[in-house]
Amino acid sequence: MAKLHSREIVELEPKQNEMARIGTTHLVTIMNDHDCLPTHNFRYGSHPEAPNLGQEVYRRLFDPGFDGCWMGCTVACSHGIKDFVPLTGPYKGKKVFVDGPEYETIAGCGSNLGIFDPHTVAEMNFYCDAYGLDTIAVGTGIAFVMECFEMGLIDQTHTGGLDLHFGNRDAALEIVHQMAAGEGFGQIVGQGIRKMKAIFAKDFGADTTILQDIGMEAKGLEFSEYMTKESLAQQGGYGLALKGPQHDEAWLIFLDMVHNFMPTFEQKAEALHWFPMFRTWFGLCGLCKLPWNDIIPEDNKDTPEPAKVMKHVEWYADYFSSITGIEAGPEDLIKMSEGVYNFQRIFNLRMGFGRRQHDDIPYRAMGPVTETEYESRAERYDKQLTETNTFDIEGKSTAEKLAALRKHHEEQYDKLKDAVYKRRGWPTDGIPTLKTVKRLGIDFDDVVELLKTNGVHS
Amino acid sequence: MIQVAGKQIAWREGMTVSDLLEELKDPHPYAVVRINQQYVTRPNFAHTYVPDDAEVYLIPMVAGG
Repeated sequence: MAKLHSREIVELEPKQNEMARIGTTHLVTIMNDHDCLPTHNFRYGSHPEAPNLGQEVYRRLFDPGFDGCWMGCTVACSHGIKDFVPLTGPYKGKKVFVDGPEYETIAGCGSNLGIFDPHTVAEMNFYCDAYGLDTIAVGTGIAFVMECFEMGLIDQTHTGGLDLHFGNRDAALEIVHQMAAGEGFGQIVGQGIRKMKAIFAKDFGADTTILQDIGMEAKGLEFSEYMTKESLAQQGGYGLALKGPQHDEAWLIFLDMVHNFMPTFEQKAEALHWFPMFRTWFGLCGLCKLPWNDIIPEDNKDTPEPAKVMKHVEWYADYFSSITGIEAGPEDLIKMSEGVYNFQRIFNLRMGFGRRQHDDIPYRAMGPVTETEYESRAERYDKQLTETNTFDIEGKSTAEKLAALRKHHEEQYDKLKDAVYKRRGWPTDGIPTLKTVKRLGIDFDDVVELLKTNGVHS
Repeated sequence: MIQVAGKQIAWREGMTVSDLLEELKDPHPYAVVRINQQYVTRPNFAHTYVPDDAEVYLIPMVAGG
């Protein structure tokens, strides 16, 4: 079976993704064309200059040599740039190896900052690695301060003189160096968006409502680099994830938005149960997810549930049975994860986080915050409002339409939460019930006591 | 001729990606296809021409690392 799986990867991967040659950089232009590539702090999903950061550029920049996670990996999606010469910082003028960039680094440190220059993205990638910083959190954090700067919520008296307009490459790099050194304005940016929002409001007098709307964090973690405005399921994929808005648990944008595989709340809730559980199983076993659903059997589209790639799920169950000697089928894998996942949710609760309110996301993740954003896709948003059948757009101002659309989107997200909690067995305030923990065998004394303390008695 | 997923399809002048998918009668909602080394996304299917002798890969894109 392992040989079969390897052979399938060798045969199909070059046709489907070419990750062994261009990594995940092909996603830049694909996301840009679907209005899903974050630009200017998630205001918009596309930009005419995005192809400057796409696969054809990185195909030339990447070293063709092997740079996989481990020698022997059949996928080997990781790539790097050899003999790169940084223009700033302690390695200025020296030849270095840049381990990347991957899609999310390009979007986070490039398009989301209004920077469409592959050299700057590579340099930010290099220094984030050198300093031990996460490229996604850095990108989303700097995008936030750039928008605050452009909106006049902060100015050069707060930034130590840095001009933080979108697209300012030198300023973006300078912040990275300052973050690492814990100096200047970078010392504030390095604390993350949640703390920045509090500092900007308290010390700089910035408006808390707008900070909340455009500060792309949830549970204290910065959003990863996909636009979710047009995919309610992925809003849940980010907002209802235990660790915060990363797509380790669920990446449902294309299934929801492009393929329309889950039109109802119940179908979205089912996806937001099954996918986080199966993806968690990879974490439990220390496996990479790419061979599951990034290289897809050619007959997968003709199966009853193409999104789950069930042929591969069955193979993983067989791998598990062969290695452990414990017979397991696909459903058993889900149950293994469910126990751990619910235990993690309860751990969050114990640490003061695991309730409904903690699954909120900033409005920028759901829809247009500003009139300019609305007007940039007016036809789309007008259509969405018309389809609600509760609001007549005729003769209404952009401000009125913006408010009505916001009300609609927030209600949709609330209904999604209800549906997901019901499916996951968390009907009371997003907390697992005693029945759920008992079913999963995690009804330990301190778990039961914690649930009771939090008002869960059945 | 065009090669699509192991099949040979007759090429004709002015054939777009949408025309090709229509001819294949494949109901799967593809988000992306690759023509030789060029990715073409669904918003561009109707106005992207398929060249003669092209190799076309149909990419279901259910994924996301």
